[in-house]
Amino acid sequence: MATINNLSEQEKEILEIIKTIPDPEVGVNIVDLGLIYEVSYNETDRRIDIKMTLSARGCPVGDAILQQVQTVVSNMYPGFYVDVDLVWEPAWTPELITEDGKAALDGGF
Amino acid sequence: MAKMQAGLSTKNAPSPKVVLPHYAYAAFAFIAASILLYFSANDLISTTLSPKILSMVHVLVLGWASMMIFGALYQLIPVVMEIKLYSEKLAMASFILLGIGTPLMAISFWTSFIGATIMMIAGGTLVLLSVLLFVINTLLSARKSDIKSIENRFIVTSGFWLLIAVSYGLLMIIHPNILSHNSLQIHIHLGIIGWFMTLIVGVASVLMPMFFISHQLNRKYLTAAYWVINGGLLFLLVSFYLKANTYIIVAAATTIIVGFILFIKYNYDAYKKRLRRKLDIGMKHSVLAFVLLFITLTAAFISAFGDAFGNVVMHRAIVIYGISLFFGFITSLILGQMYKTLPFIIWLKLYQDKVGKFKTPLPADMHSQKVADLHYQSFVTAFVILLAGLLFSSVLLIKIAAILMLITALLYTYNTIKVLAHKEKLEPLVFPKPKPIPKTKAN
Repeated sequence: MATINNLSEQEKEILEIIKTIPDPEVGVNIVDLGLIYEVSYNETDRRIDIKMTLSARGCPVGDAILQQVQTVVSNMYPGFYVDVDLVWEPAWTPELITEDGKAALDGGF
Repeated sequence: MAKMQAGLSTKNAPSPKVVLPHYAYAAFAFIAASILLYFSANDLISTTLSPKILSMVHVLVLGWASMMIFGALYQLIPVVMEIKLYSEKLAMASFILLGIGTPLMAISFWTSFIGATIMMIAGGTLVLLSVLLFVINTLLSARKSDIKSIENRFIVTSGFWLLIAVSYGLLMIIHPNILSHNSLQIHIHLGIIGWFMTLIVGVASVLMPMFFISHQLNRKYLTAAYWVINGGLLFLLVSFYLKANTYIIVAAATTIIVGFILFIKYNYDAYKKRLRRKLDIGMKHSVLAFVLLFITLTAAFISAFGDAFGNVVMHRAIVIYGISLFFGFITSLILGQMYKTLPFIIWLKLYQDKVGKFKTPLPADMHSQKVADLHYQSFVTAFVILLAGLLFSSVLLIKIAAILMLITALLYTYNTIKVLAHKEKLEPLVFPKPKPIPKTKAN
């Protein structure tokens, strides 16, 4: 799988699509929150794999976020098998929030 | 398909019909308590115990605070303990019993003071049964859980204290002879410290850092707080029972207060380290609650000295201790935490299966911001005037405060209903256009 810093052009496009999904509580998109760890686009097998985490185990809307990622990516890539893998390691920390994400939080929600 | 991972909270979440009635009922109880505050104004400046005060206090602690806590816990326990609630039927039965028992008790206090009337015993028994079912449900849920954190220990412990508190209350009505062993003080402190404060310490310590987005907090403060508060409470209860002298009571009270200071310190660190700098209405009310807690702790400390500073000081300290805890700290916390919980329950109910297919509102879009800002202002004003009224024994100020508190309650209830009644609003999703996928031999 390609990590966030090492994506192909196609994987970057997928990440842009995932960027439309906000964390419902914070209002900042889940990419800028640092929740997406890896994205993999496999042309030959026609599959897309996404590895992600949530900011807290107790996140009450975690299920909905995962579902949204899966639905949104599947809709943009019909015919592809999309797998969203939720992991708790490495544990999410606020250091993973991007500069844009921090600015959005700082500016207030 | 997205894998449904173990430990994900929403698959364990209870049906909204278990949780939502608690929020609705509690809002109306807050309105009722504000009205009762108005009619209790005269009593509050002359005594600490009267039919009206007892009635108002029980509407506050049972109908407003406990009812809200029960509802919130049925939602939260599956999240923090990562298991399904043991029984939704028990939860609904508990709601009905508390919902009927509370007004029966309130009317009974108002009309017959501490008389052992049929209505009082019926009301008290229904409340006791409600609590019993709640505790059984909590314990049997906790037993299934692998998560044995300090926060969960707070939640389970508080349930036990509540059961004893309510049993004691009923016992005092049926066998008033136990009143000679300070059972009123015991009942009050079992409720205030054993149930409310223990529970709040456990739950707030999970939620506040999560909502602030704060990390690397020193959890030793929480473990210390647990032992100091519960140990101090035992010390206090035994001291009351044995009618120990003032300075022993002060020592016990100080121990408990130290425990709360540790809890405040933990949350203060979370506040300082927060990544979400601006506070939404939920966190504004919650942070205010912690500020108000200092007033309660100060008044409680002075109360512990009994009449050592004279009867006037004692009376004012006791009344301010109680009123600032219930109309101050606990009310402000509930006003805030409603916004952090209820919209998400509704959002999941309406939009869980629509996310990714449509653009949905965010939970924060469901309430009226103007109304929320208004009730924050009216609450602060009400509380300041109430405090002044109690300090300077002014019936007029207390009545003005009560009217403002009623306005706060009405505005809050408006927003509660607005969130509860939110109608689905869907818009088409707009995405960045992806580059066309190059054709391969496989296509």
